[in-house]
Amino acid sequence: MSEFSMSLYNARRRKNLFAKAACVAATGIGLAFLALILGVLLWKGLSGLNLAVFTEMTPPPGAKGGLLNAIMGSVIMTVLGVIVGTPLGLMAGTYMAEYGRYTKLTLVVRFINDILLSAPSIVIGLFVYEVLVSTVGHFSAWAGAVSLAVLVVPVVVRTTEDMLLLVPGGLREAAVALGMPRSLIIRKISYRAAKAGLITGVLLAVARVSGETAPLLFTALNNQFWSTNLNAPMSSLPAVIFQFALSPYKDWQQLAWTGALIITVTVLMLSIIARVLSAPRAQK
Amino acid sequence: MNVQVNMTSGVDAQMAQKISIKDLKFFYGDSLALKSISLPLYDKKVTAFIGPSGCGKSTLLRVLNRMYDLYPRQHAEGEVLLDGENILAADQDLNLLRARVGMVFQKPTPFPMSIYDNIAFGIGLYEKLAKSELDGRVEQALRGAALWNEVKDKLDASGLSLSGGQQQRLCIARTVAIQPEVILFDEPCSALDPISTAKIEELIDELKSNYTIAIVTHNMQQAARVSEYTAFMYLGELVEFAETSHIFTSPSQQKTQDYITGRFG
Amino acid sequence: MTDFVVQDRALAKAKERAKALSAFRLGDLVFKNITLSAAVTVLVILGGVILSLIRGSIPAFHAMGFEFLTSQSWNPVTDKFGALPAIYGTVVTSLLAIVVAVPLGLGVAVFLTELCPMWARRPIGIAIELLAGIPSIIYGIWGLFIFAPFLQEYVQPAIIEFFAPIPFLSSVFAGPAYGIGTFTAGIILAIMILPFITSISRDVFSTVPPVLKEAAYGIGCTTWEVVRKVVIPYTRVGVVGGVMLGLGRALGETMAVTFIIGNAHKISGSLLAPGTTISATIANEFTEAVGDIYTSSLIALGLLLFLITFVVLAFARLMLMRLDQKGGKP
Repeated sequence: MSEFSMSLYNARRRKNLFAKAACVAATGIGLAFLALILGVLLWKGLSGLNLAVFTEMTPPPGAKGGLLNAIMGSVIMTVLGVIVGTPLGLMAGTYMAEYGRYTKLTLVVRFINDILLSAPSIVIGLFVYEVLVSTVGHFSAWAGAVSLAVLVVPVVVRTTEDMLLLVPGGLREAAVALGMPRSLIIRKISYRAAKAGLITGVLLAVARVSGETAPLLFTALNNQFWSTNLNAPMSSLPAVIFQFALSPYKDWQQLAWTGALIITVTVLMLSIIARVLSAPRAQK
Repeated sequence: MNVQVNMTSGVDAQMAQKISIKDLKFFYGDSLALKSISLPLYDKKVTAFIGPSGCGKSTLLRVLNRMYDLYPRQHAEGEVLLDGENILAADQDLNLLRARVGMVFQKPTPFPMSIYDNIAFGIGLYEKLAKSELDGRVEQALRGAALWNEVKDKLDASGLSLSGGQQQRLCIARTVAIQPEVILFDEPCSALDPISTAKIEELIDELKSNYTIAIVTHNMQQAARVSEYTAFMYLGELVEFAETSHIFTSPSQQKTQDYITGRFG
Repeated sequence: MTDFVVQDRALAKAKERAKALSAFRLGDLVFKNITLSAAVTVLVILGGVILSLIRGSIPAFHAMGFEFLTSQSWNPVTDKFGALPAIYGTVVTSLLAIVVAVPLGLGVAVFLTELCPMWARRPIGIAIELLAGIPSIIYGIWGLFIFAPFLQEYVQPAIIEFFAPIPFLSSVFAGPAYGIGTFTAGIILAIMILPFITSISRDVFSTVPPVLKEAAYGIGCTTWEVVRKVVIPYTRVGVVGGVMLGLGRALGETMAVTFIIGNAHKISGSLLAPGTTISATIANEFTEAVGDIYTSSLIALGLLLFLITFVVLAFARLMLMRLDQKGGKP
């Protein structure tokens, strides 16, 4: 190596060191933001956290109160949204992974579903407004739940298809060899083998929608009071946070922080549980 | 064992040792994969490593350019001297080592770039050359790998567009282009057809006038054809190391005899 | 005699079997069609979204025509609406987010795949992905109360001062420092899409055959050279797909931006000035909108947003599918 250039080599080494340092720094920045956001949430949110938050209604400005109606509203609409959206997503995912594995339809549905998965949720809200609010003439919890359901579907479709595709072909073949009909194989073998993954999908969907705000703003609107009437506007935690945080009142802002902490902890817990459930699969 | 005998016996002792491996142990995690290997690689000679799958011959090769460093929980003990300098030392500069000890893999591994860049990229790592000079070096390397005539009109085409045998010769050209001192071949023909294999073997024969070569192979005829020295390994141990003609005609060990006559492995 | 009995029994058994089989067949048919119609429903939803948005936006396009896309005015009193400031804000904040998030995301992905010690990969990877789990509204409230004041006090004055003597850039980074505005929204969006870019980059990086990396290390490449010359070229299509996916997210992101964009319906030369985006305009004004034209204009904005993100996301998916096919054959 007669023409070997040491200066060139040293320049390469410096560049390498610099690039490595930049990658470490990038990771540091990402982690720092996570820590800062969670830190501030804990610091601001914990100071307002007390029993009243869970037992009292949202107050008028300047009064004491809690978030009970907002929490209940969120729970009701999320549960409804998941109940409506999950079976639809599960069935669609089943078709794609089992019956229509090699069909054109599956390709198209997969493509469209992936787009819906990342589509702006506010547009979904407009869609449901057009279909369920402007036609009926008033905002309602139903409309809110439906808009959440529309957000649940693509998440469940995606995980269902992925998880069913992971079920070993041998298992299916063994069942076919016993003479089992297709629908029975799917329900008794495939679903069972993919159970953890399917539950993960639902949990991810719950995590996704329970923090959603935008589509609720003009479907379920908001409600200062306790309401379980699904045909009337209903409060939700994100909508209340939106309203209270942007208000000039100190009490409202404090409640907004506390609500933010509750939502974040719930959502992050759900996604961590989902991850733990699907962990053995990831190490395949 | 006769290994030591050969290393100290008459003719061999006078030959220059490019690499000498001394008491090398290799670990995957806690499990011992190479058990105290000692042998020389003579300068400008071809040394073949043969033995059944899992005997550690590829592992040994990957110690010589410290490729194992890429992976966690793998480490080597002992000494591997390259021109008298221990390459297993912690302060060994790995990039420089790999510039001196090149490697050709089992499967062809062209980089995702043009044929020209596949060669020029490696040269550019170590030398700053003018375009015309670089062109010359690329041509020289491709000629050296007996590939020039086949690709000279499509140097801008992707390296992946070549056939398997051509890709492998491109990889050899790439290795030769950075002018290493030692070239390691890890079963370079196992993914190739017989005609491509013959071309590669021819190439190795030409390369040995300039380079010290180590080749791992499953194919005993190949070892007999291309190498001057052969090491037979079994279960992480070096069973026998000697001149190739000696190994294939009158091996000193029963195990070697059994293996080359096809009684096991 | 006994023959008949055996035959009878066999016949009965066969009948039973046929009955069971036909029940199975019926169940199969029903189940299959249920799943089929569910799959079709996904398509129907997309169609419904597009159709309902088109229907809702007809009055606005009817009233303003093409001017809706080019006008800068946003006046509920005179019922004159122009989407340009919102489109501009959406594009600029998203591009800003991409400019910041791509190098960061790739850096994290490289760190996690090439540099990080094994034991720390999973925890750090999960931590970065948790950034994607934090609801949008949390970024909004955090950005408004913590991040924007911080930028206003410490970062933006320095930026303004730094660029002041440089022509052109001085107007791009012109003061005053509001804290909130296009710049801050872009940074927050960058943090929000960081995990998407990171996780897709990680996935596609792992499709690089180890032997290819070994070959590059084998000629003495440094880690950086292996990444730059082998890993990224090999996975280019997938990385672009990931970036486009991130862009799609940034374009449609609503709540965080609504908090910190400043909601000013004008195009400002300075990145530090308040602006608006399509989604922020809709979120802020939809429930307060009075009159058909106003509501319809907001729905038309939604249609625009959906079309833009649809194109970007479709492009992203096509890129990722191409990589899948490439990975499929050895």
